[in-house]
Order: sequence, then C-alpha cells, then structure tokens
Amino acid sequence: MSEAVVVNLFLTVRVLLVGGILIALPSIMRKGLLFGAYVGETLADQDAARQVRESWYIGCVILMLLSLLVGYGISLAGQPVTGNFTGTAVLLSGGLVLYLRTYSKARRLVPPAAADQAKKAAAPLVSSESKGAGLAKFALGICLLASLATYAYAVGSYQDMLASVPAYARTSFYKMILLPSANLALSPFLALLALLTANAKRSLRGGSGGGSFEAQDAFRTTYAKLFSWTALLTCAFTSYFSVRIIRVGPSQVRTLALEILLSAGFIVVFLGFNLFRIMKGYGQGGALLEAGSAEAPLTNGIADNARWIWGLFYVDWDDPSIMVESRFGIGYTLNYGNPTAILIVAGFLVLSLALTAVAVIGTLATGG
Amino acid sequence: MLTLTIDRSLEDPVYQQVADQLRRLVASGALSPGTALPSVRQLAGDLGVNLNTIARAYRLLENEGFLLIHDRAGVTVAAPAEEIEYSARARLLDEMRATLARLRQAGMTPDDLMTIVQIEVLAIDGGGKENEDE
Repeated sequence: MSEAVVVNLFLTVRVLLVGGILIALPSIMRKGLLFGAYVGETLADQDAARQVRESWYIGCVILMLLSLLVGYGISLAGQPVTGNFTGTAVLLSGGLVLYLRTYSKARRLVPPAAADQAKKAAAPLVSSESKGAGLAKFALGICLLASLATYAYAVGSYQDMLASVPAYARTSFYKMILLPSANLALSPFLALLALLTANAKRSLRGGSGGGSFEAQDAFRTTYAKLFSWTALLTCAFTSYFSVRIIRVGPSQVRTLALEILLSAGFIVVFLGFNLFRIMKGYGQGGALLEAGSAEAPLTNGIADNARWIWGLFYVDWDDPSIMVESRFGIGYTLNYGNPTAILIVAGFLVLSLALTAVAVIGTLATGG
Repeated sequence: MLTLTIDRSLEDPVYQQVADQLRRLVASGALSPGTALPSVRQLAGDLGVNLNTIARAYRLLENEGFLLIHDRAGVTVAAPAEEIEYSARARLLDEMRATLARLRQAGMTPDDLMTIVQIEVLAIDGGGKENEDE
C-alpha cells in the first residue's frame, strides 16, 4: 500500500469516528437541554427543537464530506500528510462553528419560564462519600508514587551514565527525563480528574424522588472509575517504557516504537470503548437511566443559562463545586468561577509548556 | 430519598429556606436523631450556593438544638432534649405567642388557629411514630 492510501485511510477512520460521535451526542443529552441551552423539558420534545437537531445532523454529514474532500484533494495533489492534517483541521474547526451556530439557534428557543427554573435547586440529604472516590484516591496515590520513583530512577541513571559512558556517546539529560516527566504530569493529573469527578456536583431534577439522584450517582461513579483505571494504565505503561528506554538508551528508542504505539493504542481503545459503553448504557449524566423522573425540571446550575458561556464553560463564583456536569457532550467540566479549578487549568498549562520545553531542549541538545 | 430544595426567587433568604426545611424534617421525624447530613461543602456544591449560606443555616440549627456539629464526624441530627430549660421555654413561648398574634391579625379565627396547632402537633407526633415503626 502506498503512503497516500494509508494516510487517507487514517483520515477516513478519524472522520467517521469523530463525525459519528458528533451525530450521536444529541441522543444522549439530558432532557431539557438543547445544544448547551436549557430550553425546558416540554420544549425539548417539540418541533422547533427537533428542527434544530435535524439541522445539526445535516451539518455533521456535510462537515464529514467536506473534511474528506479537502483531505483527499490535497492528497491527490501529492501532499497526503498535509491533506490528512487539513482534513482533520476542517473537521474540528467546522465542528466548533457548527456547534456555536446550533447553540445560538437553541438559545433563541429558550422560553422565559426557563429563567425561573434556573433559580431553583435541589440536593439529596445523603452524606455518604461518592462510590468512585476510593478507587480515585488509590489511583492518585499509586500514580504519584510510581511516577516519582520513575523520575528518580531517570535522574539516578543519568548520574551513572556520566560516570561510565564516554562524553561523545552520552545522551542529553532532557531526553532522559522526557518520558518520566510526562508520566509525572499526566497520570496523577488523570487520577486527580477522576477524584474531582467522583465528587462532582449532582444536578438533580426537582421533586423527582430518588430516580434522578440514582441515575446521576451511577453515571458519576462509572465515569470516575473509568478515569481512575485510565490513569493507572497510563502510569503503568509510561513507567514501564521510561525504564525500558533508559535501559536500551534514549538513542535506541526507535527499537521500542511498535511496543509504545501498541500500548498507546490500547489505552485509546480502552478509553474509547468504555466511553461508548457509558454513552450507550447511561447517557450524559445518567440521562438514559432517569426514566419517568426525566419529565421533572432540571435544577442546580445546569438549568441556569446565565451561568454558562456558549453552553460550554460554567462560571459561578458562588458555587463551591469544582466539577459540574457538561451541558453538551459526555462527562464533566470545570467550574471556571472556582479558584481551585482555575489553579488546575493553570497547573496543567504550566506542565504542558514545561514538557514541551524539555522535548525541544532535548532535541536541540542532541542535534535532533 | 429526602431532598432539600431552594428557590432564589422567593423573598426568604436561602439560608432561611434551608433551615426551615431541615427544622420541619427533624421535627416530623423524617430525619431521625443521629442521622448524618451532607457536609457544608457537599450541600453547598449540590445547591450551587456559597459555603457561608449553608454554614449559617447549620449554625442556626445547632443553636436551636436541631443539629450537632462535630469537628470530624460532620453534622448529625440531635435528639430532642429530655427536659426544657426555663429560659428557653419562656423565649419559645413568647415566639409562639407572637406568631399566633400575627396569624390572628392576618384574619384567622381562634378556631382556625386551634385547628392549625392541632394539625401541626399531630404531624410532629405522627412523623416521629412513623419513623419509630420503620
């Protein structure tokens, strides 16, 4: 198979996967929400809302075709890799534009009564700790310990190398600590996300008894457990390859390329498969489990359009919650009005920049 | 499952709404003595209100003898006192007299007041008994 065929195949799979997820998202939304806007439970079933959903489906199909056309076109012109990137960029940027357009349509449907509903909130009088929190704490502890140990091993190995390897054959310090640093940043971060998710805000339906609460709790627990296991898997693979790379020598990393690729692929498949399972079995926030209680109105911030920017970013300075249920898509999002959440985002950005700097310095120090 | 609801469009402040509901649930026996309540952070997070709002409601109920706030064990429902102090009795009776006077002034007849008092007392007593049966 030529390079162009392989690259185009990757593009096709990616477009089908991302496009398929985009098409599936409206069917797992919690009732009453329409593309990031709370329109109320009654209106969500009416023709106007159905039309907005239909235009989303059509938009998604057009976007997928456009991405493939652009990708294949550039590929036929002799630039398959550029075509792959451009096709993906068209898909992602087009997806964002399509979402914002659909969100603005949905906002126009919001009835005045939705503003009254936004002022209401309900909370369960249950003090028990979230069921997913135990595993998340365990994962956080293991990830911190393992990644710190790996980092210490890398630094120790560098000191040994200075003593035993001639100067011309030495690798740079930055190359040596690149993967351990990534491990230190990534796996505890994933475990922290799992812990925050386990304690995320529960957006109940007013006066619905236990149905909404149980659905929310089941979804939250499963979601937190998935991220805990993903953190543990990431930590295990990254720690293992950090040690392997140091043993074979960073300059010989190409010999491990297939193993690393397969391991990364395994984590992606594990995460993707389980997210799909959660989408199908639970729906967003347990929407598919709410059954009869889904007729009762949503409460607790998720119903308040004023607290959401573009239906994507939750900002409430009074709300002490760090994580809240996303209005669109699957999972949870941060409360950007909470100082801890801002600190988490800042920490992640600083770590990402530091890792990029390590990679760049490592490449420059050894001449690529 | 017991839930607590608030409505920011009402005139009553949120801490008052929280305290009123908890008071009723404790008095009716729906929340029995020793029951653990959510932490201030958990309840404030679920309701999307400031931590101080819930802390204020809990402190108010602690002062009134409805809740016990422990350092580590969290917040639990207090058992009714076995004997009422003279000063507390006098203060609460004054409050009741004031409330009854306001209801009378608002247009309720003495018979209406008597009926309401009976219903409320039965609700407290009945709720407690139902809870014991469970």
